[in-house]
Amino acid sequence: MNNILTQNDIRHVDYKDVDLLKQFVNAHGRMVSRRRASLTSKQQRAVEAAVKRARFMALLPYIAK
Amino acid sequence: MADDAVVMERETAEDAGVSRVYEAGYHIMPTVKEEDIEKTVARIRGIVEKAGGSFIAEGAPVLMRLSFPIYPSTGGKKNAQDRAYFGWLKFESPVSASEELAESLKKDPEILRSIVFRTVREETRAKMKAPQLREVKRTDTLKSMPRKSEESAPVSEEQIDKAIETLTLD
Repeated sequence: MNNILTQNDIRHVDYKDVDLLKQFVNAHGRMVSRRRASLTSKQQRAVEAAVKRARFMALLPYIAK
Repeated sequence: MADDAVVMERETAEDAGVSRVYEAGYHIMPTVKEEDIEKTVARIRGIVEKAGGSFIAEGAPVLMRLSFPIYPSTGGKKNAQDRAYFGWLKFESPVSASEELAESLKKDPEILRSIVFRTVREETRAKMKAPQLREVKRTDTLKSMPRKSEESAPVSEEQIDKAIETLTLD
């Protein structure tokens, strides 16, 4: 699978890695689809959890623009 | 063999006193003086140590800008905070200790926001930098080329008239 996580051998998605998580949200702050991000379902779930934690901790916006 | 391991894991998971790996993230109020941040962190560490936890990793609090203002609920007054000292720590402790820590972080007036969740012992941060993610294939950079200096020789009026004539004839 040709996605950022696999390419860089990232097995755990951390909510503190804001720059990484920004790759998976669009300009409005919404998560991009699994198909668009080319993630496996396991990876998508991990990214989803990380994005939600980052939003709660105000590291990422809930909505932007 | 693998099945035995799974069964063992299930059995231990049922045990309430089992130790698990947790991560706590917290925002310390920006109103706290920089000298007193150490004390706040020591207090958080104290809660974990008291409950029999052991530390795995830690990130020192750093002042950062928040993505949106947070309104702490203190005394009915709304004071929006758009900056905070963000710190985190990873520890191994019994389930009860993590719950205790989550509760005390919530009650602490110096803590703007906190989160405690289960994680893994391994380092979870991605070992890559943002620029590597966005590899932009750039075309050749534009170089400032000196303009060809047009040789501007003095032009007489006759030459101008001739040039105009040729233009008008066409």
